[in-house]
Amino acid sequence: MVNGNLIEIARGAVDDAIMAGASECDVNVSQSERFSAEARDKTITKLEQSTAKSLTLRVFVSARKATLTTSDFERDGLRTAIERVVEAARHVAKDEHNGLPDELGLGAQAESLRLFWSDVAERAPEAKLDDVINMERIVRAADSRIQNSNGAHYSDVITTHALANSRGFSGEYRSTRASRSVSPVAFDGAAKRTSSYGTASRRLASLEPVDAVARTAVRRTVELFGARKPSTMRVPVIFERDVAGMVMHDVFAALSGTNVVTSNSWASERLGERIGSELANIVDDGTIPGALGTSPFDGEGVPTRLTTVFERGVLRSFLLDTYYAKRLGMHTTGNASSAGIGPNNFVLAPGTQSLEQLIAATHRGVLVLDTIGFATEYATGTYSRGARGFAIENGELAYPIDEFTIASTYPEMLAGLDAVANDLRFDASVVSPSFRVAEMTISGN
Amino acid sequence: MLTTTTLERLLSISLARGGDYADVFCERRLSTAFRLQDGRIHEGAFVVTQGVGVRVVVGESAGYGFSDDLSAAALERAARTASLIAHAYNEGARSMNVTSSRVLPLYDETRSTHAASEAYVGLLERADVAARRYDSTVIAVNASVSDELQDVWIATSDGKCVHDHRPLVTLGVQVISKRDGERGNGYAGDGGRTSIAFYDQRTPESIALEAAAISQTNAHAIPCPAGEMEMIVGAGGGGVLLHEAVGHGLESDFNRQGVSLYSGRVGEPVASELVTIYDDGNLPHERGSLSVDDEGNPGSHNVLVERGVLRGYMQDYMNGRLMGVGSNGHGRRQSFRVLPQPRMCNTYMPNGESEVDEIIRSTKRGLFAKSFAGGQVEISKGDFVFMVAEGYLVENGKVTSPVRNATIVGNGPEAMTRVVAVGNDGRLANRHYTCGKGGQYVPVGVGMPTVKISSITVGGSNVG
Repeated sequence: MVNGNLIEIARGAVDDAIMAGASECDVNVSQSERFSAEARDKTITKLEQSTAKSLTLRVFVSARKATLTTSDFERDGLRTAIERVVEAARHVAKDEHNGLPDELGLGAQAESLRLFWSDVAERAPEAKLDDVINMERIVRAADSRIQNSNGAHYSDVITTHALANSRGFSGEYRSTRASRSVSPVAFDGAAKRTSSYGTASRRLASLEPVDAVARTAVRRTVELFGARKPSTMRVPVIFERDVAGMVMHDVFAALSGTNVVTSNSWASERLGERIGSELANIVDDGTIPGALGTSPFDGEGVPTRLTTVFERGVLRSFLLDTYYAKRLGMHTTGNASSAGIGPNNFVLAPGTQSLEQLIAATHRGVLVLDTIGFATEYATGTYSRGARGFAIENGELAYPIDEFTIASTYPEMLAGLDAVANDLRFDASVVSPSFRVAEMTISGN
Repeated sequence: MLTTTTLERLLSISLARGGDYADVFCERRLSTAFRLQDGRIHEGAFVVTQGVGVRVVVGESAGYGFSDDLSAAALERAARTASLIAHAYNEGARSMNVTSSRVLPLYDETRSTHAASEAYVGLLERADVAARRYDSTVIAVNASVSDELQDVWIATSDGKCVHDHRPLVTLGVQVISKRDGERGNGYAGDGGRTSIAFYDQRTPESIALEAAAISQTNAHAIPCPAGEMEMIVGAGGGGVLLHEAVGHGLESDFNRQGVSLYSGRVGEPVASELVTIYDDGNLPHERGSLSVDDEGNPGSHNVLVERGVLRGYMQDYMNGRLMGVGSNGHGRRQSFRVLPQPRMCNTYMPNGESEVDEIIRSTKRGLFAKSFAGGQVEISKGDFVFMVAEGYLVENGKVTSPVRNATIVGNGPEAMTRVVAVGNDGRLANRHYTCGKGGQYVPVGVGMPTVKISSITVGGSNVG
């Protein structure tokens, strides 16, 4: 446990850094109480519980930047580390774009953002253990082909986050997050197959129920039995919600100031251009009450906001912190995080049709349920993944397919976006409804 | 970091409710890094990771608590948290004794401090200049250097107490070239469990030039044709294929639980007779090496596959015990905040007998994947995916056009059965690979000779 409150610790570190020679600085401090449990079959196989803390100090010494990340809050250790990071900053190049934001403020009141839910904070450990045991029981009873599991998991975390800087800003908020998931393994006599399904929310009551999570995981695991390799072809591809969110992750990364400024993005010089179809409407919104990417202020103390990123296919904004905004002659979008630039709630706007209607409206194509591979070429915009899912014929799921790749480029996928479903859920900070891309390359036989 | 008395006390508290085994993992890691961007040093970073994790093992279950606060009260709370997994309420305190033993070091244990900031900055500036001089089409250079000193102290309820002092340096350079409107990306990195004196021989210029050459090749590469074809996997970096296609499936947790496709198959053929795979934790200065692993067991030479036959798994303490074989030095963890897992160290294939020229000459239509940018595997069915970082077409026995962004998709055992030639040019890859599993990232090494696979599915956007 930390003695004293986090804001005081943050302010103390600010004072120490200025004393050590920093011209400006800011400090993020967080403390989290974490619980996680895993069950396999009838046994609790992992039980972890801890209080973790972390301090990240950003110092500017005459516009030269260095950062310290530490879990050692002891006065002497912290001071030594601060002196060391100030020394390191002296060896960094002077860059006039470095510095604290001008636009500081608390933004929305933390309470109105509904980030903290007592149903998570006050949940009894026994109930958490029941979750994982029950998910295991349900998946193993649901289908005779399910004979094993990678485990059922429940975890929650209660975090207090504080920020102070040398311009006198300070702010603090609390948040909760809970999640449950299960990953069954099925055997059909020839091959093993595994899949997983999970749910996450700031509020316990908003999690999908144990029963629903388990049943969806079972369906995902057994539905691909008998999958074959499709032939190589160019067809429409429907991305189911979860894989659609993974595509949006890569879109976010290419639009983040870090990649835009370093020429590591296909979008670098394309602001204002029509890149996507009419359906490409994407926002980054840090103010959605209760969502997992919501916070009152970002990692630099800038109030979060709604940023229109794509409007009917036109690229309207990159995602920026103070430094990269200055580099591009723009304004911060409130996307600073301790790791650089991160999403608030990065969301593709949903349509009105269900996923089933999207499938029914696809004469011949592919439904992708899962992808593997993550190496991404942001510079060239190439998209290429291993995938599994279903072949669609005459508007119906014809047969399961796997061991193929899907390929295109991100700009072509945004341009080819020709249908978006209504199944959006806020279970991560980057989320998307299912969508269809008019044509992509499937490589198989 | 903690006294023997404190360690013994924590072990005693952790087993007060019963349990088969307990260990205390103390860590202090200091890491210095600098990053270069746009021709100048962009930022410096210093990271302190310090804390203690306590684990109790009961059968196939583990309880875990950690503390980044080193006060007696906080440490005892972590030990009591770990003890909750056990249920023998009336067990009472057991007294514990640990005896320190010396570890045979695989790396420079005299290193006690980081270099002066100037030294790191100088390496990056040299890499930047070299990459930009390579060609006028180079439009961007990003480079980073990191130097980490990790001290771990591990005490176990079976009386062991060891300390390991692990250095790790890495210098990586990314170069982007633009030629006729096409961008090409190239990355190279190297380092190891040593000091930055490593870069006296392996100069930052040599690393930058490797990255620049790859970016130039990729800038004039053609789209990769899609479909089934032969594949030649390049020596060194091609070892990522072994790591993903076979290595993860041989980690003992998946096998003890029966969820890997390799479960229960020791002694059975799982690959072509030409395939032998080792994982060694004891190669001096290599990135994946460990004098002792994160459970206090020495790194060792392990035969995973021998002439196509599965010989054994990579074991940590808990899974090795449940499988009745014990640990073979593969218990690793990212930090004191997480439980150990069975993980790879340096995974490689020893030399075969084929000449590389002959391998290429015998290939009618194929992809020469010289190195991979990354990969992933699903261990139950064994399906894998790799992205090729540097690749070329092979047509009628000759290496022809470079191809951009090829993705390989396949199935581990299937691909290993289709190995039809193994070269005599085996080597370990540049030392910059990091492996992720269950959210934990650890440094690893990979390597292999040039290998030919008779048929694999190549993904791309060019249906040919």
